[in-house]
Amino acid sequence: MNLTVENLTKEFKGKKVLDIPHYAVRSGEIIGLVGNNGAGKTTLFRVILDLLKADTGHVVISGVIDGREVSIDTSKNEAWKAYTGAFVDTGFLIDYLTPEEYFRFLAKVTGLTDSNLNERLKFFDQFMNGEVMGSNTLIRNLSMGNQQKVGIIGAMLHHPQLLILDEPFNFLDPTSQVSMKYLLEKYGKEYGSTIIVSSHNLTHTLDICSRITLLENGNVIKDYGRDYALLTSEIEGYFRSNVNI
Amino acid sequence: MKIISYFIIAFWAVYLMVLGVSFHSFFKDSSLEAFDWIDGGLLWFLVLDFVSRFMMQDTPAQNVKQYKLLNISSRFLFHVFLLRIGLQFYNLFWAFFFVPFGFLSVPQFYGFGGFAGFLLGWWLLFVLNSYWYLFWRTLMNRNLWWGFCPLLFYLLCLYLGFFYDNENQWLFDGSIHLMRGFCHWKAWCWLLLIGLITVMYAANYYLQKVAVYMEISRMEHVGTVKTRNMKFLDRYGVVGEYMKLEIKSMMRNLVIRKLFINGGLCMLMLCGLFSFSDIYDELPFMRVFICVYCFSCLGVMTLTTIMCAEGNYLDGLMVHKETILSLLKAKYYFQCAVLLIPVLFLLMPIGEGKMPVLTMLACAFFTSGVVFPFMFQLAVYNDSSIHLNKKLTRSGRNTKVQMLMSAAAMFLPMLIMYVLVEFFGETCAAIVMLTMGVIGTILHPLWLNNIYQRFMKRRYQNMDAFRNSR
Repeated sequence: MNLTVENLTKEFKGKKVLDIPHYAVRSGEIIGLVGNNGAGKTTLFRVILDLLKADTGHVVISGVIDGREVSIDTSKNEAWKAYTGAFVDTGFLIDYLTPEEYFRFLAKVTGLTDSNLNERLKFFDQFMNGEVMGSNTLIRNLSMGNQQKVGIIGAMLHHPQLLILDEPFNFLDPTSQVSMKYLLEKYGKEYGSTIIVSSHNLTHTLDICSRITLLENGNVIKDYGRDYALLTSEIEGYFRSNVNI
Repeated sequence: MKIISYFIIAFWAVYLMVLGVSFHSFFKDSSLEAFDWIDGGLLWFLVLDFVSRFMMQDTPAQNVKQYKLLNISSRFLFHVFLLRIGLQFYNLFWAFFFVPFGFLSVPQFYGFGGFAGFLLGWWLLFVLNSYWYLFWRTLMNRNLWWGFCPLLFYLLCLYLGFFYDNENQWLFDGSIHLMRGFCHWKAWCWLLLIGLITVMYAANYYLQKVAVYMEISRMEHVGTVKTRNMKFLDRYGVVGEYMKLEIKSMMRNLVIRKLFINGGLCMLMLCGLFSFSDIYDELPFMRVFICVYCFSCLGVMTLTTIMCAEGNYLDGLMVHKETILSLLKAKYYFQCAVLLIPVLFLLMPIGEGKMPVLTMLACAFFTSGVVFPFMFQLAVYNDSSIHLNKKLTRSGRNTKVQMLMSAAAMFLPMLIMYVLVEFFGETCAAIVMLTMGVIGTILHPLWLNNIYQRFMKRRYQNMDAFRNSR
């Protein structure tokens, strides 16, 4: 799926938190959004997902679905929801369910059968590392890392063509972080999906993303291609410049 | 929740006053004086009072916890909280009954001094009962099985005192004797009562001291639950999935469970009033009135906070298509299914010929077709998340709209029924209510869709507020 943002602005209490004249993501790209706290990453995700109203501008999701060209303004039509998966924070989790119940609920809502669900969950076996399912524990009683895993798996279960993950490496132990990187790369390759992740972990982001977008105070400061050496030096240089050493 | 509590308090206050006045005339022609009958049933009053305290009274151990880190002596804190319990307004609540009743029946025999003794005696008995309740409630907080002790005590007393030997009504006579002692200001009565209060106060003081440390060191019990698939709901597709959520939310979230338990208790109490008493048999308005509340009280109490629980995970729901419409449908069907409980309970008065089937059907459909659509409007305006597993008093306070709507849901049916029953009779009222209810029920896809459309128009505002109140 392609994603296009036009003339997007958002203010909170008189302060502009988002101001993006134009931003486009092409189908199949893995985008890393990086920036300091308050840069506008989560706000941008919420606006894209129609969870927050933009003051001006719009977000359009387009692409070929079932052989048909579609182009949808996310605030005007709900059809895009069938092709999109997202996990932004624990506000996405129904925490009084067990992970199994939560996955089953999402499967039903997105039209998957039980056998489909079981098949798809196998894809996440390594990522779950035997810690998420089978313990008959409510999601709210899981560790933050395992809650994060449940949310990420829930977002990917129905094989969305557009996947949005906010800080997916947060709370994960080192093994799970590596597993997460592998999972996203594999998912992107296998399903050709567009993936947008935000992260404070530059190493992981640089490892998996085909493009890095740098945000600051709601503005897109720079868009980098996948020249690893350049990316590393430029992005690290940018964040280093904010610190007096 | 608060407005419902105020309404219930106001309702019972008026109700008790009316009962107080009518009881006086009710016992006018009997061999004993009216106040003797009431005094003889002392234990029944104490049982009722004990049960009602489950909804009204906290334990100090829960309250003292937050002051423990402050530089205030624990001894002082416990005394303050225990005295507060003794002096709480609720111990005076029965005065709504005893003041009018006593005023009409006591002074002519014992003068106003006797009337004052009568009132003071009853008040101190309820003070004693509050400490008695507190003692068992604190133990029950540790283990629910402690609840059987007062239950057994009351059952045993009532059985031995009233049912075991019809010739020897020792409990009835003893209670009359005690209460007459209060009216005569007999020292032994006061000493006995004040002595019992002191003993219970001391017992509570030591128990609370232990309980507060147990409360502080209490770990949240992270148990395992059985993963439930509830396959019987699978046939209803996505709506069935949301119905499963409703059931699981009720079973696993303290706040939601408490709402249902309180609503369920109200429902059972009203049903019981109908089934096991004949007070309302001659009053068609009261009959229809109580019947409607048998059906609607649970719905009104739980739907006041409609969407507030979902506010905790609304973002996750909103990234799926038309999910809110399915959610609303599931909530409606679930509430309609719950209406079967009062239907079962009301079969008894119907079987006894106390109430026509038509009235019951009218009340059931009036609830599903008029009261529910009214309460569901709150789905558009509710925008404050409630903490699912914490005490309701610490979260999800009612907004003005919630208060207005729940008050209207309580009072409007009463007004409609009063007009219909008084001017057109019970049968005609039932037919009108049935018609309104059936129309509302059949049209539920339409009004639910309307609520969904309006919710979607307000979605940004609501989601923002839900997020901020998490």
